[in-house]
Amino acid sequence: MPVSEQPLTLDSVLTDEAVLSTYRRMFAALARDSGAVVDDPALVDIAETLFAAFAEAGEEWLTHEQMRFACRAHPADQFDNRLRVLKGLGAIREVFPKPNQLRYRASFTSVVGLMFIRRMMDDGGQSEMHRLLALEDLNVADPRTTMEEARQSALNLARAFRLWALELITLTTGTIEELREQAPKLWGTEEIARRAQSLHGTILTRWPELDRTCTDLRAAIYAYSDASRRAAGRLADSAGTTRNLTLLPTETWRTFAQTASRERLAAVLDGFVFDAPAPWHDPAAVARAVDEAPRPAPAQPTPPRSNLPDPGPESSLDSSPGAALERLTLMAESLLGEADRVALADVLGSDWPSARRVLADLTTVDLRPELPYRLAWSDGLSVDPEREPAWLSHGYLERVS
Amino acid sequence: MSVDRQAYALAHARVRAAGPARLGAGVAAAPGMLRLTRPDSTGEAVPVWPDGVTPSLLDEHQVPPVSVERSGETRRVLAAVLKCCWRDLSVDPWPGEPASVELVLDTYRELIGRTDDLMRNWARGALRRLHDSAWVIVDDGVVLLGPRCALWPVESHAQLQELVRRLPEPERPELTVVGDADIVAVAGPHPPAPAGAGGRAEGGAAEFDDLLSGYDERRRAELVAAFMAVEHAAEPVPEVRFAALRDPALRHTLGEMLARRGRTLIQHRERWTSGYDDAVAAELGGAEGTTSLGVSERAVLTLVLVHSVAIPRAEGLLPEDSWLSPHPTPVDELRRHTQLPIGELEAALRSLRHAGLIGQVKAGEEAGGYVPGPQFHRLTPAARRRLQEELILAAGPNTPLAAAVLARRSAK
Repeated sequence: MPVSEQPLTLDSVLTDEAVLSTYRRMFAALARDSGAVVDDPALVDIAETLFAAFAEAGEEWLTHEQMRFACRAHPADQFDNRLRVLKGLGAIREVFPKPNQLRYRASFTSVVGLMFIRRMMDDGGQSEMHRLLALEDLNVADPRTTMEEARQSALNLARAFRLWALELITLTTGTIEELREQAPKLWGTEEIARRAQSLHGTILTRWPELDRTCTDLRAAIYAYSDASRRAAGRLADSAGTTRNLTLLPTETWRTFAQTASRERLAAVLDGFVFDAPAPWHDPAAVARAVDEAPRPAPAQPTPPRSNLPDPGPESSLDSSPGAALERLTLMAESLLGEADRVALADVLGSDWPSARRVLADLTTVDLRPELPYRLAWSDGLSVDPEREPAWLSHGYLERVS
Repeated sequence: MSVDRQAYALAHARVRAAGPARLGAGVAAAPGMLRLTRPDSTGEAVPVWPDGVTPSLLDEHQVPPVSVERSGETRRVLAAVLKCCWRDLSVDPWPGEPASVELVLDTYRELIGRTDDLMRNWARGALRRLHDSAWVIVDDGVVLLGPRCALWPVESHAQLQELVRRLPEPERPELTVVGDADIVAVAGPHPPAPAGAGGRAEGGAAEFDDLLSGYDERRRAELVAAFMAVEHAAEPVPEVRFAALRDPALRHTLGEMLARRGRTLIQHRERWTSGYDDAVAAELGGAEGTTSLGVSERAVLTLVLVHSVAIPRAEGLLPEDSWLSPHPTPVDELRRHTQLPIGELEAALRSLRHAGLIGQVKAGEEAGGYVPGPQFHRLTPAARRRLQEELILAAGPNTPLAAAVLARRSAK
């Protein structure tokens, strides 16, 4: 691996010399310059963006240009400032420590530190405390654990609880807005107190000699529980009539709504008095409602009909199968008479309505192959405005054998 | 306040919370209540309003009254009931005669000219709502006029007579399976029937005369108007509209009037409404059966409060310190993500809506849902605070906040 020293892990830096630099690196992401802490959250974002870019780059490492590209969303001067600080504190360092180095790598410790800081900023360390307590619980139950280690862990916990309690007490005497903002991150749930007490119990049972240390731990836990209650009490007293609802997280509300039984939900409203439904129906309003009743659409009136039975002219139609052919034959024969061929001009009447009926019938005759008559048209056309029809195509009705 | 006054205030509050009160034989109604006396001298008590006004007075002041669900339909069904039960127009409508539900439905059908099943379901829904609000009494296929019908002022009876006369008689097939008279005859003498036929209304003692007699006619009318407005308007009323709310002396008298009914003034900035006095509410809430809400109704109401108020609050979306909310609880959330059976849920939503405890918000086809209703304006600051505490105790019983609430309560 092209590195100048062993990769930094949390284990490898646990020597006296390394402690200081680890601390520095851990807070490098938060430092404004080499001696102070950032005052702009965007500066932490730059560090985070950089670390993400390093993670992606892998063993290719990153050049200065690539780093700048990764942070293109941030102004150049901010980026330069950040890079200078991160480099100065060793969170980002050259792959080879020599002048004009082009490629850089990120420190693992700084990344872990940043993750930890983010989490602490989110929930104020409550979940950290849960994890810590769970770990310590495992530790003290482990047969390899020595009494000295147990004492150390009890001392650490006692110190953490005391500091926590102190902060809560400070908040409780401060402004209510600050308390509302900070307290839910700091105060412990009963769960934390219960875990701490069980841990305390385990230590005391296994090493009764640690009596004094445990008394300290116990006192710290009580002080913390008491401070939590006092902070909550102040909020409960000061809040309006719904404001404290913000102090339970949304998830708690959802879980309650989704899992609580009917009886548990109903119990919330036990003892509350509401009005029974008592609308007023004024006589005028009742009368108005009746007047405004939606009327059904009136039925469409049917046209008047005669009372006498009226079968219509259907009897005049001869519907027997041969009737149509018979009629057409009769008509063709009457037009032809004795002849085999007649000009249409001679047989059509002088009025158009009857002429067109005859033409329609003759066309039908022509289209019936079973009838022995055909129409034959020639190209001639006579026009005579005085006559009707005025336009006449020349055609003949012929008898075919 | 004398012991009597306290008892009267409690009686009035109880009627407001649970509907008309049953009175034992010979027991007098509290002042300000009408006693509807049955032939066996038991009875029911319904509150009347000062100086003979009714909630219609709100119309004159352009203040919207508590909204009536499906008001047109409900009132048409009430008209049909009146047509069937008020047989002798020469006497007061209440108590009237019992009539069968079928006759009422036929009359209603004749009135609106529709015969489909949908119409029947609507009419039955309206009958149920009228029953729940004591306008009619439906019992085992028989309908009676309810106690609230006795509150129609005598001057309006002529209008009602005219209405009943012009309602069409239903065309009825000659014989249904059981004749109406038989149904009524069978149901009539049953002891649990909420009201036997017959009875008379006895006006109670006036309750506010000692408070109001000192004022001239105009002031007196202003006091009564403000009294009706805070007691019966849907929302808090603006003080600029009512002299008795603007003027501190009149407002004081108004407060005394309300106190006699177990009520108190509640201010929302420039607006006023009324609510149960805390002491009265504590007494009523402790007693069994004074609330008209069943277990599932209360459970659903809690869910609406969690989704519409607590969660938006926790997410910082609700800046007002109020139990009303513009964030609807989606119906789907109630149907799918709660432990309540659907049938129970729907019935509970219906009666909560009818009581004005929740409001329905419609948005598009499927969206929309329920928000806390206008009744939440009527909670006193103490009641609102207690509601917050109860919710926190229920949802986060192990939090320091819950511990603080309990500690504070036990210290009291």
